[in-house]
Amino acid sequence: MISLVTRPTLTGASRSGAALLIRGIKTIPQPPGYIVGTVNDAYVPPKPHKAEGSYHWTSERIAAFALAPLTLAPLVGGTSTILDSTLSTILLYHCYTGFQSCITDYIPKRVYGSYHNYANYLLIFGTGVAGYGLYKIETSEDGGVTGIIKKTWNA
Amino acid sequence: MFRSILRQTRALNGFTNGSRSLATAAASKPAPRLKTFKIYRWNPDTPEVEPKMQSYDIDLNECGPMVLDAILKIKNEQDATLTFRRSCREGICGSCAMNIGGRNTLACLCRIETDTSKETKIYPLPHMFVVRDLVPDLTHFYKQYKSIQPYLQRDTHPADGRENLQSIEDRAKLDGLYECILCACCSTSCPSYWWNQQEYLGPAVLMQAYRWLIDSRDQASGIRKEMLQNSMSLYRCHTIMNCARTCPKGLNPGRAIAEIKKQLAFD
Amino acid sequence: MLARQGLGLLRKPWASTMKFPTTRLLAARSLTTIKASHDQEQELLVAQRKNRPTSPHLSIYQPQLTWILSSFHRITGVGLAAGFYALTCSYAATSLLGIQFDGATIAGVFASLPFVVKLGAKFVAAYPFAFHLFNGIRHLVWDLGQQLTIKGVYTTGYIVLGATGLLGTYLAFF
Repeated sequence: MISLVTRPTLTGASRSGAALLIRGIKTIPQPPGYIVGTVNDAYVPPKPHKAEGSYHWTSERIAAFALAPLTLAPLVGGTSTILDSTLSTILLYHCYTGFQSCITDYIPKRVYGSYHNYANYLLIFGTGVAGYGLYKIETSEDGGVTGIIKKTWNA
Repeated sequence: MFRSILRQTRALNGFTNGSRSLATAAASKPAPRLKTFKIYRWNPDTPEVEPKMQSYDIDLNECGPMVLDAILKIKNEQDATLTFRRSCREGICGSCAMNIGGRNTLACLCRIETDTSKETKIYPLPHMFVVRDLVPDLTHFYKQYKSIQPYLQRDTHPADGRENLQSIEDRAKLDGLYECILCACCSTSCPSYWWNQQEYLGPAVLMQAYRWLIDSRDQASGIRKEMLQNSMSLYRCHTIMNCARTCPKGLNPGRAIAEIKKQLAFD
Repeated sequence: MLARQGLGLLRKPWASTMKFPTTRLLAARSLTTIKASHDQEQELLVAQRKNRPTSPHLSIYQPQLTWILSSFHRITGVGLAAGFYALTCSYAATSLLGIQFDGATIAGVFASLPFVVKLGAKFVAAYPFAFHLFNGIRHLVWDLGQQLTIKGVYTTGYIVLGATGLLGTYLAFF
């Protein structure tokens, strides 16, 4: 039994999951067996932060609820600049939270550390650029985003 | 000598007797139904050897109907080093939770598929650290369970100083929640738990969090809700519903989590 | 049947100890135990945890409608969102750099493509769009606490697949 200590330890913890998918990126080593403290200590959850918790979830759902009829409207009938701007703006937020969710899921801070932050900064920058593009589309393009898609689809 | 002759005549006459030898029984036995089980093996004494799948053939005529019967038979008769947890053999202790034929269930409640042309694959619970063979390390799972404070918390004592009473309707709310045996089948079937189990609590623990949130006798719902107010503990649930699909007790952790989200929505 | 096996098993070790009592004693003596403090045991446990492999997961889990549709939802969502960002970001970039780029440009390029490529592109856009739309509605129904039983999950799942087939085909061909 005791002899196990002298065995060369394998990196069991880092072998798991997506950690090995991206080579060259330095990941933070995880505690063996993910266990912090003794077996009798309870797991300590992250600090409460409603903006990342219920407020975030609720805003996501409200956006999604609004999107469903707004997306179906141009398919069924026509559209207007107001309708298209509303649709595109909410869609941008929907896309942003979707990407953000992917980052939280697959590039977690506890493993990727600052790379998690870089991914989020990149997303915020991208969303800003997309927002500017959206503004340009809505002000200059006839029919807005749905107009472009319609034109292309029927081309 | 005389006794053995007597025993043989009895066997030939079709008497069943506790002391009958297996050799004489073989004469009237039906053709064996050999079923292959492929079982995940890993030995902590040789950690440098990669985990492998090992095949065992079992005659289903000689074996009980459940997968647990089969792996016990393997351990008894073929390979005593095969390691797994088991206790009650009737689906109430949750020890023998494992991945059988691709889904998580209790070996004692899972029938052996009688089609002998197909092999049955048995793995430990998915994406868990393996202690040995089919034994996963559930320490972190239990620590997470402990973190939700799974016990009654009150500031006030009942007026009569005796019992915390509950109406029949309030008690009925706990049905479908309190039956959980914490076998970890649901949590380890959840892809979100696979990727983020260090921080995401997982379906089993969240269902118990809900069980204490809606208990009419509990007065700590404020703290209980606050503990879930972050991006990881609760909100990594994406309603995949593998949990409800796999629960060997027929419970629905996915619905319990949705109810928590509803309670917290405008909190 | 089981009782008979049990008896058979019990008999063997009993018989062997009757015949060779010394071997048993020797075996018991050769087992050595080491007295370890709590800290040493903890150290050993941590050393063992470092060695433990992660059990297989995605590759061995049974394909089920639950997680397959969920993964489609995420993949289609990321794909559609990437398309939306590509359109808006290229619009922003071209307007800043002063390059001629608008709806007519995209439509013109698309029109010049061969028919098969156009149809293929429509397929690739229409089915994920229809799926994400309908499955999104399914998720919203769930978020209201409805249809969250195994039966509900499967019924709504098949409805979503059917509706995706209809709307996707309609959009791609008409």
